[in-house]
Amino acid sequence: MDDLNLLRDLGRDLEHEPPPTLVRQRSRLAGGAAAPRRRRWLAPAIMATAAAVTAALVLVPTVLLRGGDGGRHALGTVARTESGPARAVNVLVIGADGRNGGASNADSIVLVHLPADRGRASVLSIPRDVVSSPVTCPNAKLASPRMTYMLTGGLSCSVKRVESLTSVRVDQAVKVDFAGFAKMVDALGGVEITLPKAVDDRNSGLRLGAGRHLVKGRQALAYARVRHGLDDGSDLARVERQQRLMKALLARAHQKFGNPVAMARFVAAASSSVTVLGGDDSVALKSLAKGLEKVNPNRSDYAVLPTRINPADPGTLVVDEARTAAALRPFKR
Amino acid sequence: MTAAPAVPETETDAELIRRSHADPEAFAALFDRYAPMLYRYVSRRLGPEQAEDIVGDTFLAAFGRRARYDLERPDARPWLFGIVTKLVARHHRDEAARYRALRRSPAEHAVPFPDDAVDDAVAAAGVRPVLAGALAALPRRDRDVLLLVAWADLSYAETAAALGIPVGTVRSRLNRARRKIRAALGDTDPMREEA
Repeated sequence: MDDLNLLRDLGRDLEHEPPPTLVRQRSRLAGGAAAPRRRRWLAPAIMATAAAVTAALVLVPTVLLRGGDGGRHALGTVARTESGPARAVNVLVIGADGRNGGASNADSIVLVHLPADRGRASVLSIPRDVVSSPVTCPNAKLASPRMTYMLTGGLSCSVKRVESLTSVRVDQAVKVDFAGFAKMVDALGGVEITLPKAVDDRNSGLRLGAGRHLVKGRQALAYARVRHGLDDGSDLARVERQQRLMKALLARAHQKFGNPVAMARFVAAASSSVTVLGGDDSVALKSLAKGLEKVNPNRSDYAVLPTRINPADPGTLVVDEARTAAALRPFKR
Repeated sequence: MTAAPAVPETETDAELIRRSHADPEAFAALFDRYAPMLYRYVSRRLGPEQAEDIVGDTFLAAFGRRARYDLERPDARPWLFGIVTKLVARHHRDEAARYRALRRSPAEHAVPFPDDAVDDAVAAAGVRPVLAGALAALPRRDRDVLLLVAWADLSYAETAAALGIPVGTVRSRLNRARRKIRAALGDTDPMREEA
């Protein structure tokens, strides 16, 4: 055989098919493209972020209010929320991709500002390709200045990096691990979804007829990810579907909380997927959770931290200092 | 529901990139067109773990440089493979280590072959460690040329465009790389079971 053909055979052996998660890289592109404008409801990156925030808004109160030990991982190194009358707080929400082995990467990074009356949140998405200036973290050497690697030094280090990047004080940080999502659904005995038509999608593994179904975690995850055969296949449609799923999950959770066994199972699954930083003061955590519970994700204000392509490294972004003031204003109150 | 405007199949890459100057969202169509192909290529060189991020980095960098794209070139593949090559180069130690690992280990998994392919398959399995070792030992620039031709299926002219070098240089690097590969293979008899 010819050497080039042998080489081609070796190449085919080494090749891997693109995973469904490759689509995340597409939304990074939208994050960079969307940066110049303050509000872009239809940009996929923001919508994906909205899904992460919805997840956080659903999960955090659930875990914290229902007696889960969400404070277990607390390191107590950042400012705590005082108990007593509510005051405005800034919460950092990180959606982590939970890769097997190795540190997980931050997939979506979001600052949420809750005003004292807790009515309407401001949500600022930080593109994961933004680079931050170096910060010193006691327990980590900084691997890469890109924000997506912010979890390397733990949540307290993530907080420092966001504070240094935005000059906004972060009161609380929450990490939501999407890998645990399927487990949470299973703990609730499944979740109800409605399909407008039959779906058979090989990429995501979703095969269901039209109508209402009670699906287990793996299928719920496929439903959240599927890009073909349902709606118009756009990222936007997918994210709307994810939000419907989150709402269905919340409804299911409320339904099941009368059952102590189901509830205990759910809390165990959820608390292993949600990490909270900001002190183990349960009063403070509960007051924050109550605040989050009141917020309506649909009434919140979504924006993206203004960035531009990093001239020193076009694969990354830098904060566009000239345009950040307006975006950061709600967070400095 | 706002559906993304359908991209006509006939639109060339250059037309897409031109449209993306005013409408950045148009660039996403380029991602849909080539991300899977680039992923497969990088997964060969660096494995699946790094391929995903590198594909994302590639498109982000391409997006940042789209104003400088030569619109006279309808096919954007050489341009994208050029960016990929630069990004893969940052991991050249990982890449060499990946090939060296193959050199040491036997075939990772047995793949069933149709009968008439068995001989070739046996031969391929036998030379695989040798090939991998030879790849690991190649200078980075020669390997870039060899793999753009053998794995990315670029022509000599496209490879030259991707790397920003003359076609003559592509030929000489390719010849040098193939000579070394053949020399390595020559040390073994690929038809023998114990290579």
